[in-house]
Amino acid sequence: MKTFDYEAPVTIDQTITLMSKTRGKTLLLAGGTDLLVQLRYSNQDVDLVIDVKGIPELNQINYDEFSGLVIGAAAPCSQIYESAPVLENFPAIIDAATIIGGKAIQNRASFGGNLCNASPSGDAIGAMMSLGAICNVVGSEGVRNIPIEDFCIAPGKNALEKGEMLISIQIPSPRPNSGSHYLRFTPRAEMDIAVAGVGASIELDSDLNKILSARIALVAVAPTPVLATEVSESLVGQKTSGSLLEKAANIAKETISPITDVRGSASQRKHLIGVLTRRCLDIAVKRAVQVS
Amino acid sequence: MTSKIGVDVSRIDALDKVTGKALFPADLMSSDMLHMKILFAGRPHARVRSIDVGKAESCPGVIAILTASDVPVNEYGLINCDQPVLVGPGSNKKGADTARFVGDQIALVVAETEEAAIKARDDILVDWVDLPVITDPYEAMKPDAPMLFESRDSNIIKHNKIRAGDVEGAWKNCEVIVESIYHTPWQEHAYLQPEAGISYIDSDGRITVEVAGQWVHEEQKQIAHALGLTVDQVRVIHPAIGGAFGGREDVSVQIVLALASWHLHERGISRPVKIVWSREESILGHHKRHPYNIHAKWGAASDGSILAAEVKMVADAGAYEYTSAKVLGNATLQSTGPYDIPNVSVDAYAVYTNNVPSGAFRGFGGPQGAFAAESQVNKLADKLGIDVVEMRRRNLISDGSIGQFKSVYPEGVTIRQVVEECADRSNWPITQVDNSLPSNIRKGYGFACALKNVGFSFGFPEECWAKVELHGGSEIERVVLHHAGAECGQGAHTVFVQMTAEACGVPIECIQLEAADSALTKNSGSASASRLTFMAGNSIRGAVDLALENWQSEERPAIGEYKFVPRQTTALDTETGECDPNITYGYVAQRVIVEVDIETGHIRVVDVMSVDDVGRAINPIQVAGQIEGAVVQAHGYTLLENLVSRDGYIETAQFSNYLIPTSLDVPERVEAVILEYSDPQGPWGLRGVAEMPFLPYAPALIAAVHDATGIWFDEFPLIPERVLRGIDHSVYGE
Ligand SMILES: Cc1cc2nc3c(=O)[nH]c(=O)nc-3n(C[C@H](O)[C@H](O)[C@H](O)COP(=O)(O)OP(=O)(O)OC[C@H]3O[C@@H](n4cnc5c(N)ncnc54)[C@H](O)[C@@H]3O)c2cc1C
Repeated sequence: MKTFDYEAPVTIDQTITLMSKTRGKTLLLAGGTDLLVQLRYSNQDVDLVIDVKGIPELNQINYDEFSGLVIGAAAPCSQIYESAPVLENFPAIIDAATIIGGKAIQNRASFGGNLCNASPSGDAIGAMMSLGAICNVVGSEGVRNIPIEDFCIAPGKNALEKGEMLISIQIPSPRPNSGSHYLRFTPRAEMDIAVAGVGASIELDSDLNKILSARIALVAVAPTPVLATEVSESLVGQKTSGSLLEKAANIAKETISPITDVRGSASQRKHLIGVLTRRCLDIAVKRAVQVS
Repeated sequence: MTSKIGVDVSRIDALDKVTGKALFPADLMSSDMLHMKILFAGRPHARVRSIDVGKAESCPGVIAILTASDVPVNEYGLINCDQPVLVGPGSNKKGADTARFVGDQIALVVAETEEAAIKARDDILVDWVDLPVITDPYEAMKPDAPMLFESRDSNIIKHNKIRAGDVEGAWKNCEVIVESIYHTPWQEHAYLQPEAGISYIDSDGRITVEVAGQWVHEEQKQIAHALGLTVDQVRVIHPAIGGAFGGREDVSVQIVLALASWHLHERGISRPVKIVWSREESILGHHKRHPYNIHAKWGAASDGSILAAEVKMVADAGAYEYTSAKVLGNATLQSTGPYDIPNVSVDAYAVYTNNVPSGAFRGFGGPQGAFAAESQVNKLADKLGIDVVEMRRRNLISDGSIGQFKSVYPEGVTIRQVVEECADRSNWPITQVDNSLPSNIRKGYGFACALKNVGFSFGFPEECWAKVELHGGSEIERVVLHHAGAECGQGAHTVFVQMTAEACGVPIECIQLEAADSALTKNSGSASASRLTFMAGNSIRGAVDLALENWQSEERPAIGEYKFVPRQTTALDTETGECDPNITYGYVAQRVIVEVDIETGHIRVVDVMSVDDVGRAINPIQVAGQIEGAVVQAHGYTLLENLVSRDGYIETAQFSNYLIPTSLDVPERVEAVILEYSDPQGPWGLRGVAEMPFLPYAPALIAAVHDATGIWFDEFPLIPERVLRGIDHSVYGE
């Protein structure tokens, strides 16, 4: 690892100034569970590491019905899964926060870091995408709001411009009669990376048998986590049933063309997306019925 | 006097280890120490034409760069000195200029800091000539295959043969014949503590290496050989050892550390040298469990009696011999299991390839052989419609049995007892059906058993030394035990102390242990082959008896020094395999319950029962720990650990892609049942335990998966993808 400078500002403004002043390569540090591994193994040349954990806005978790949930970019998983409003309203977020790495990792790893790292297998990205999250970004030019499905653009590459940082992620309040779930498959029960993952949120009508809206995100089967709009379309307006979910699962399988790597083959991934989509939708629907 | 054995005494090293006081090799520091890094070959088969260290030597902070020409006797090996200490031109060893696997060591860089050593290492220029790479042992066996060693006319290291009875004549009497080809994987030891050590010249002028190993005197011998010194000029000390499992049976950093210190000493530099391998260096740099291909054809009569077994197996030994010939012996023995089979033919080969060397690993060829043997028995039972326990009853050995080696099994054969106990306690045969399971989950039950030798096999010399000093006046007040046996984390030193206290009739607190230093002890053999408690116990008893005699004749301190030599085993006859293979055995049976998710291929192990006859449990909770630990390690072997090697390059050299089980993956429950049928040769009747619970796990689990899914898996690890492919070919368009 090359030597680099380290700063720990306490405001967003200080951070933006630091980023714009530094001529060399700057990287932001949240929990460091991706960054430190990458610095150690990839011989990346970095001149300045800016630790953003000391900035209050980046550590908050706020919820009100009107503006929804705001997760500070550096808030660790453990803070997220202990938050009462998240526990009450966003089950898919809890699912993701409790499976990333293991207990020790969850004490450091943030959803903001997961998102900015833009890995195809980012579990938090899949969960947040299914819930229609918006990314709040600040740079020297001002503020931007980026829909989460536009945030990751390639493996390890996000939509941030030079000098921009992620402040928080905003997730709309759940609609009535809605439920969400995030489910992934790993050979090992913890400390492992998804071979495939599915996030789903489902809104039912007041009779609880017709699907009003659906968002499905697929993880680790494309260069970035992706929104499966064809799957959502196949569900909207339909009555919930085993065969409907089965059909949706088959559509999910057909929309992807995953790769083979050391974690799994393309055909295994395709198969798993089918199984996981069905199981994930089933639980999201059950949760929608339960909350009402 | 209450007994000191058979009780759960706390580990004598526990407090130091949990408080961090115990120092492992990587913790050893000295204010003026230098740091060493190794340049590894990074190529599976290539000749070094030249090495240019000019640029590297001029890097700031570099003290020394050593290459092949700096090694006095450029060869080493536990059994056969076939590996160069450093690969490159200019040494006295023919063929030492050729790297035969990616982890061969090319150059040592000693520098003021680790960073400086890394920088200089990366500036060393090596002129390579790539050579043809052979990674398939079957290709390597062919007469026209390129030779890994110019001096040899075959890549076959060893061929073991057994010819007992008339296999060809027996087939016609068989009601059923089962023929299968099994494949077992590599396994990485994955000990907590990667290779590390520190070396210096001690006050008596000896090159001293403090390092984690399994056998101080063997390490001392190998260092002395490579440096052209006498053993008295070399000292090896084991500080706390962070796990070994056979992975430290062959040396890693011992010789290179000594070489660096010797070189500095000759230049008048008296500063210690330290090295710590990264996890990746550890995975690339030390040997693995042997992969085996086993072709087994077994036949049985309609009443279940097994009439014939024909086995052909090939072990991938990798680039150097290590313990391959010995591991092969054990696999040869295990390949027909603890069964009385009148007609046996085995051909077993260990073959050089350009893969990572294979060597010792808990079970030492046993798990591979037992997987094939137990699966064959389970399949025969299945075909005959005979319950698997009943099938075993009809074929297991007992006292007086003469096996395929045409020698009587050592007295104290208890395989029938462990099988009955395991069947009894698990209410075998299990007929109840679990209706509470979701439709994608299938439950299954599996059974297997095994024997495991205690002590070195097939004529390998065995001995174990101990010295005891009794201090005091009219009463024994203090006892000093000198013993070289390694405490690898298994609890050996605690049972040494217990056995000494028991033999002397004094409280445990009176015992002081002087261990793990070649300068203070004589040869006790290695911490391997499930031998240490058995051998150490016998040597301690012998030494205490002598010391007590001297105590009676008023000697103060009364000293007893004793070398235990067990009964001699013999090597396999080259044509028939006839021999007396082992000193004695331990016996084990296991029942495994699994739940298989047939949609994802994920296997959950719900419950394991392991019934182990250990003769006498000196420390029952430690024995239970060994059983649980072996099951967990075998669980990783069977389900998760998938070492991927392509064209000689290891693609899974990190724990993020070589997956070992976490606490959430291991069996939900392991019931360790300890049986105590005395072994006539064992001190207090004990046998060894460390390896045997590993052996039946893979075949028992795979039988349970068959019970759940109807599919036999002849290859593992059962990673979900393999299971899925087996259950549902359509997923893969097959
Ligand atoms: C053992 C282990 C297990 C893991 N298991 C999982 C798993 O199960 N699932 C999973 O999805 N991931 C897993 N990961 C990856 C990692 O833990 C997650 O991606 C985590 O959420 C990253 O968060 P962090 O706070 O540690 O990010 P960091 O490492 O601090 O940062 C990640 C990236 O985001 C950038 N960044 C951070 N904050 C900001 C910001 N505010 N604005 C702009 N850029 C920013 C950093 O510069 C860096 O490029 C695992 C990692 C390890 C080491």
